[in-house]
Amino acid sequence: MEHGLRWFISNSLRRQGHLGRTCRCFCRLTRNITTCRQTARFWLSHLPGNVYRPQSERHCHNDFSELLQLEAVRKYIDDLKDEYKEIRNRLNCIESREEDGKLLSRRHVRLAPLASVLEELQSSEKDLFELESMYNSLKARDDQELIPLVLEEQQQLNKSIAVLRGKLLQTLVQKEKHDESNVILEVTAGRTTGGDICQQFTREIFSMYKHFAGFKDWNFEVLNYTPSDYGGLHHASAYISGENVYRFLKYEGGTHRVQRIPEMGLSSRMQRIHTGTMTVIVLPHIDEVGTKVNTNDLRIDTFRAKGAGGQHVNTTDSAVRIVHIPTSLTVECQQHRSQLENRKLAMRILEAKLYQQVGTRAQSERIRTYNFTQDRVTDHRINYVVRDIKELLSGGRQLNELINKLLESAENEAVLELIETRNR
Amino acid sequence: MWWKVFSACRVYLAPCFRVKSHYHCRSEDTGFLGAVAFLNALSRNPCRFIHDKMTGINCVTYWQKIFEENGISEPQQSSEHIISHVLGGKTIHNLTEEALSRSLTTEQKQMIWNLCSKRLHHMPVQYVIEEWDFCALTLKIKPPVFIPRPETEELVSLVVSELAEEEDVLFSVENAGWQNSHRAARPLFLEIGCGSGAIVLSLLHFFKQSYAVAVDKSAEAVNLTRQNAERLCVQHRLQALQLNVISDFQKLTRICGSVDVIVSNPPYVFHEDMSGLMPEILRYEDCDALDGGTDGLKIIKAILQLAPTVLKDRGKVFLEVDPRHPEMIQNWLQACTGLQLTYRATHRDICGKLRFCELQRS
Repeated sequence: MEHGLRWFISNSLRRQGHLGRTCRCFCRLTRNITTCRQTARFWLSHLPGNVYRPQSERHCHNDFSELLQLEAVRKYIDDLKDEYKEIRNRLNCIESREEDGKLLSRRHVRLAPLASVLEELQSSEKDLFELESMYNSLKARDDQELIPLVLEEQQQLNKSIAVLRGKLLQTLVQKEKHDESNVILEVTAGRTTGGDICQQFTREIFSMYKHFAGFKDWNFEVLNYTPSDYGGLHHASAYISGENVYRFLKYEGGTHRVQRIPEMGLSSRMQRIHTGTMTVIVLPHIDEVGTKVNTNDLRIDTFRAKGAGGQHVNTTDSAVRIVHIPTSLTVECQQHRSQLENRKLAMRILEAKLYQQVGTRAQSERIRTYNFTQDRVTDHRINYVVRDIKELLSGGRQLNELINKLLESAENEAVLELIETRNR
Repeated sequence: MWWKVFSACRVYLAPCFRVKSHYHCRSEDTGFLGAVAFLNALSRNPCRFIHDKMTGINCVTYWQKIFEENGISEPQQSSEHIISHVLGGKTIHNLTEEALSRSLTTEQKQMIWNLCSKRLHHMPVQYVIEEWDFCALTLKIKPPVFIPRPETEELVSLVVSELAEEEDVLFSVENAGWQNSHRAARPLFLEIGCGSGAIVLSLLHFFKQSYAVAVDKSAEAVNLTRQNAERLCVQHRLQALQLNVISDFQKLTRICGSVDVIVSNPPYVFHEDMSGLMPEILRYEDCDALDGGTDGLKIIKAILQLAPTVLKDRGKVFLEVDPRHPEMIQNWLQACTGLQLTYRATHRDICGKLRFCELQRS
């Protein structure tokens, strides 16, 4: 059965058009189907995730349907549909000049996915409507055999419609420029009066992101790891590479607050709760040619031998520190044994830091509070509460859900904003 | 009881290690032999170190203190590299927290003890763990073959960037001079004094279509280069030969044919500076890989005299040299009439010292 399912999944990915209509098993899977890699491990890891899917789908179903019921949104979608038809006609009929043709075809490409999703959604809704009428007629005839089948079919269709609505929303929202980039993640412990709760907390958060990267099948390369006393972490940074890393991690940047009773120090004996903070910085690594840093602005520090260096010296110190003089931005790297590799890595990080697009306001914004004594985490941007801190810190499904919620609400807001600006 | 033995041993060893007198290459001091014997005796019986419960992190700090007390250079890095190597990581930053806080097994502790004892004799870390990284490669390193230096990595990136720029000129098939050569589109490198093969293997790794000839005076170096080539699966593009650039001049010209680039990190230490080198270098590395004669130019001059005969037209020579050499080489070239070689440029290394010379066959 598993083998058949796997074959089926790989086939249906090739036939993306039949998203809403194909097998029930397929419909059970995640709505992010087109953005996923074709690895068996990924699919298998999602199959047991059924338990959470219906809940989150139900939740997002509510959000999206509410959104889609808004008059303005409907009008916007209809406008886009008309635009698409118009463009298609024009491209077919008129052999326009180069300039026009290019612009039109670009817009055509942009709107094509939207149009296809809309079509599928409409046909699914039509199917649902037909099913309803069939159900009514069956009920009238009181046919016990076919009614449960029809009900089941209805349920499946509802779910697929929810998935399609989600897709529709995603296509409406313009993809942010750096969504697909890899990311440099930095964590820094803040200050507190409660012993070393910040450092311990920083270590837990860093390992949470490490496990999350594993969960999402991303590559997690530690660039810098500076521990503090008693096993805490002072600051660390990592290079996370994979698919759409920035899209998922961009809302993690900011100040995370922790409330717990410290294990060391005076306060631990008194069992008093202390508050501490730690900062997470998420930088997209933009790999564009032409954004190279001027080497004259850099000061590169490496191990310097007294005297002639070169053959005169034997050293294993390959640490590199690069200082960008105009901005006094400093990057250190001692990840590799080869000095050249350390230098390349440090340059990569420096470039990312210099061209970061993240607003500075986000750094001081308190985005999330982790209360260990009450065992809950509150995200202040969407007022979402998560129980079971341990599960969240393990960087698995709970964190994934939280991030998906953030993405949803951000996308909703983006759509509304888009419509508002259009109507103005 | 073993602790007492160990501390007694340390008291005995300490004066030996602190002696600052120079040693000739590969000669042993009796005090040292005694120390070695002592350590050997100790390692034959598991001492308290091996029986005590230790984690990776504890080990690093423990051995770092020992290295510091015994005047070993770069105590922290030495300790970290050796212990990471035993635990399977390249650097301590490649190891997870769990790996470092796990209790070490007896075998691991024994291995750490053995390796750190070697380091206590001022053996370079690269020889202790028998490998090192160079550019994007990991190479096997064995004494007395010369250990690649960080500056030499820059030599490789210099060659790469120069060739990439000149690709149109140097390797285009349209160029009349090479239409006869069946290797027109593939660069041929010649490295003189290959040592462990660092430079030539990095170039072969980067230029996937290239070929290379690597020569070295020492048989051990040639063998090590061949070994590393096999590990990196480029042995079919490399010819490694044991030849002396000074005495086997004729043979070399016959074998090489027409070469696009000559690259070398020749011995360039002035003879008078040899005795002032670190014990790590003097006691373990091949002196012939370092000593460049009175003015450090003995091998360099030989390479430059060889160059016009083996280089193709407009072929280049890239050398790593002592900071005093660029000027000396330019003066010597001016005096040497008839040598078809032009001095093109001097490049600085990351510490700002004049390190690399670029010449071209005119």
